[in-house]
Amino acid sequence: MHGPDGIARQDPPALGEPILRWSSRTNTLAGIEAALAQVWTSTSLTTTGADGAPERRVAARTSVLNLVVIARQPELGEHAGSVIRMLTGRHPSRTIIVSSADPDGPPWLDARVQAECVLPRADAPETCAEFIDLVAGGETGRHVAAIVAPLLIHDLPVTLWWPGDPPLASAPALDLLGMADRLVVDGAHWSGDGLDRLRALATIVNDHDLARGGLAVSDFAMLRQSRWREAIASSFDRPELRPFLADIRSITVRYAKGPGAGAADTNVIKPLYHVAWLASRLGMEISESLAGTPGGPEGVAGPAPDGGRRGTLLAGRRRVAIALVPVASTMPPGTTLAVQIDARRLRESLSVAVTAEAEAVIVRTAVNGRDLPTRRFMAPRRTEVELLAETIESVGRDPVAVAALLMASALAGPS
Amino acid sequence: MRELRLGHADKRRAAPRADGNPLREGLRLERVPDPHVMVLFGATGDLSHRKVIPALAQLWRSNLLPQDWMLVAVGRRPYDDATFRAEIAASLAERSRTPLEPETARLFLERIVYHQGDFGDDAAFDTLTARLDEMDRAHGTNGNRLFYLATQSSAFPLIVAQLGRTGLDHEVHGGGWRRIVIEKPFGRDLDSAKRLNREVGKVFRESQVYRIDHYLGKETVRNLMVFRFGNGIFEPLWNRRYVDHVQITMAESIGVEERGAFYEETGATRDVIQNHLLQLLTLVAMEPPATFEADALRDEKVKVLRAIPEFAPADVARNVVRGQYGPGWVAAEPVRGYRDEDKVDPLSETETFLAARFQIDDWRWSGVPFYLRAGKRLPKRATEIAIQFRDVPHRLFRDAAVDPEPNLLAIRIQPDEGILLRFGSKVPGLGLDIRTVTMDFTYGSAFAVDSPDAYETLLLDAMLGDASLFTRADEVEAAWSIATPIVGSWVDAPAPDFPNYAAGTWGPEAAETLIERDGRRWRRI
Repeated sequence: MHGPDGIARQDPPALGEPILRWSSRTNTLAGIEAALAQVWTSTSLTTTGADGAPERRVAARTSVLNLVVIARQPELGEHAGSVIRMLTGRHPSRTIIVSSADPDGPPWLDARVQAECVLPRADAPETCAEFIDLVAGGETGRHVAAIVAPLLIHDLPVTLWWPGDPPLASAPALDLLGMADRLVVDGAHWSGDGLDRLRALATIVNDHDLARGGLAVSDFAMLRQSRWREAIASSFDRPELRPFLADIRSITVRYAKGPGAGAADTNVIKPLYHVAWLASRLGMEISESLAGTPGGPEGVAGPAPDGGRRGTLLAGRRRVAIALVPVASTMPPGTTLAVQIDARRLRESLSVAVTAEAEAVIVRTAVNGRDLPTRRFMAPRRTEVELLAETIESVGRDPVAVAALLMASALAGPS
Repeated sequence: MRELRLGHADKRRAAPRADGNPLREGLRLERVPDPHVMVLFGATGDLSHRKVIPALAQLWRSNLLPQDWMLVAVGRRPYDDATFRAEIAASLAERSRTPLEPETARLFLERIVYHQGDFGDDAAFDTLTARLDEMDRAHGTNGNRLFYLATQSSAFPLIVAQLGRTGLDHEVHGGGWRRIVIEKPFGRDLDSAKRLNREVGKVFRESQVYRIDHYLGKETVRNLMVFRFGNGIFEPLWNRRYVDHVQITMAESIGVEERGAFYEETGATRDVIQNHLLQLLTLVAMEPPATFEADALRDEKVKVLRAIPEFAPADVARNVVRGQYGPGWVAAEPVRGYRDEDKVDPLSETETFLAARFQIDDWRWSGVPFYLRAGKRLPKRATEIAIQFRDVPHRLFRDAAVDPEPNLLAIRIQPDEGILLRFGSKVPGLGLDIRTVTMDFTYGSAFAVDSPDAYETLLLDAMLGDASLFTRADEVEAAWSIATPIVGSWVDAPAPDFPNYAAGTWGPEAAETLIERDGRRWRRI
């Protein structure tokens, strides 16, 4: 173990801003554990008081969870680390960021152990959290679960954040998931159309049954669209429109296709979640999935030549046409542009059109062709820091999210 | 930039209520209320400037007000929109919990219009009605109205009657909801509270009425319910078998400041005991409600209030101590006595301190005293609930130098919101010495985030139609049934020893005697 290389800056910390209180490097697991034991007993955790004398103002370690980040590339790990550091004061945790490098080289480990503190109020002690940045090379990098397990704080929940393209079906991934309470992914960043990983994620959710406590899953792609769901739900807050929920005839989601991108190259997770959420909330069943649709090439599952995916749901005995339609746009590929819901009940019709404009979601509702007042919902794009904070604040499985996820996977059909 | 705020899991509603809309289930964002017009009476007053409008501005900043929301500020002063907005802008710059960005503030102020009128002037309400109808057409607010009475309480009946006369209370199918928020004090004794309830009830249905006690919107007060009913280990101990007594303290270091005239009419009992402290008592003592719905919660609170026996005059003399501060020192500064404060009678007998011993005659709490104390010009500002557990049944450590103190659970409401558990621990060494240690949880360390102001919480709830944190008519009357005999017994009983405690002390000597008589002592806070 290398000695501490940056112990306890003496400056009084600025309110609310993380300050590095400890940093050391090591290349063994035992070294990491020794550093973690030492960091909180160090008498050097002092700051300069008003009278110039050293003053200990560091609270005992505060942890509300273990946050494990699996980053397949070091740059992903660095990015995740910067996001998590923004949450030190809000959700102090033991953070373990594991990156792999040099898979064909000899086994090695390089770890940096750091303690960062935040002064929440001028008259309060500092709240501190631990960061372990760990790069594993060669064979060591293929046994991540064995590295992580001894570093977890007992009895605290384990959140596993897997940015990028996680190999969810692999054996090492399943080992890691076995020790996690929550898996955090971002389906909007999965490669291709994202559907293979969606199916793998649904399998994991199904396999971790409730008897084992159930693995909770948070997908940033779903969380990002919360305000869309709020906007859609608001249309049916009006009691006189609620009966139309039982008589929906079609749901169409338009999303951005990247310039020149083929249909299969555009990630469809976000638009798919809209349909899946509505279908699962309204108790619909799948008649024809989006994979083997009439619009697809003959006998081949997948999108139609225009890139659109079409299917059919059943609401009771009533058929509901669903479609994901790519549209050329300057927005990032996969971004939802519009959700259109059409319903017909007796002789009355309802049209709900939800679109995005700058930082707002706009709901236009018409009954029998007559427009009701347009509603705007402010929906600024949420940062990863906000999404991760929401994820951490969630407790247990969110049955609505699970239902939407499983429905999305089923709608995607077999690969 | 306006922000997006999440509905936190520890809120009284984990998710917005579905209200029959299956799409609402599981939405984690705070629900945005329906487009509506809020009508604020007493808009130029201190409460509106200090609390109500800054809270609205924060809700706007957090994107929790609908984009079509409008505020009609009603006051007597001859302002126009521009004058009133300028006054509010200055007020927000001084009082906002989080500074508003200029563009956000500009957009917020654009949603405010001023309506001048006297509350007794029919024409002012007729034009108000026409103006609200016009707003419905212009902003699609669909007849939804939230009336907020931030005026002197004497104006409440008049405003309510005017709203009734103009039909502004009427809810019609598809024509929007109508709600009214009424500030405290809701009456000054049981009779006046009943009268006011009757007056309000002539116009509004109880489900339309939101009586506000801002204490119930405080984060730590709301967490009290989570603490009790969201944790398995405390509730089994929460009864006469394990609890020796409960202390609830609300100490203020400030005096009456500019509120001398108001306080002369009110006193500590009406100002904080009848509402804030009795509310805390009900939250500590109530049975778990069957659901977290407003009426289920309030039913349980009312049961507690009704289980507290009303005091006869002799009971008041035995169980209640009143006090008034004289000159003294607070925070190393000399301060004057109550009778020397502005707009206070030099011979005033108004109480600035009250300590009382209550009994709850029900299965859970029989024989467990609840000691309440509240006062001004005490040594520090602190509100706390302390659950004092019984002593161990058998002295096992006879050789220890000191007996372990009984366990204590202290819930700090303000400042330093948090929870402390006290227990005995062996001092390291060869001997068997026991020392009392504490496990101390502070919100500031575990959740270093700003909590919303109580008014933000309560305003949003009223807009959403969630009455859980508001008091119901029978609840107000039950609380007055407890407080009225106390203040009533003093009408003909002078307080010759006033002032009977020096500013900067913990109240009169008699308050110590009150609890020491039972073999207990006040917690040192």
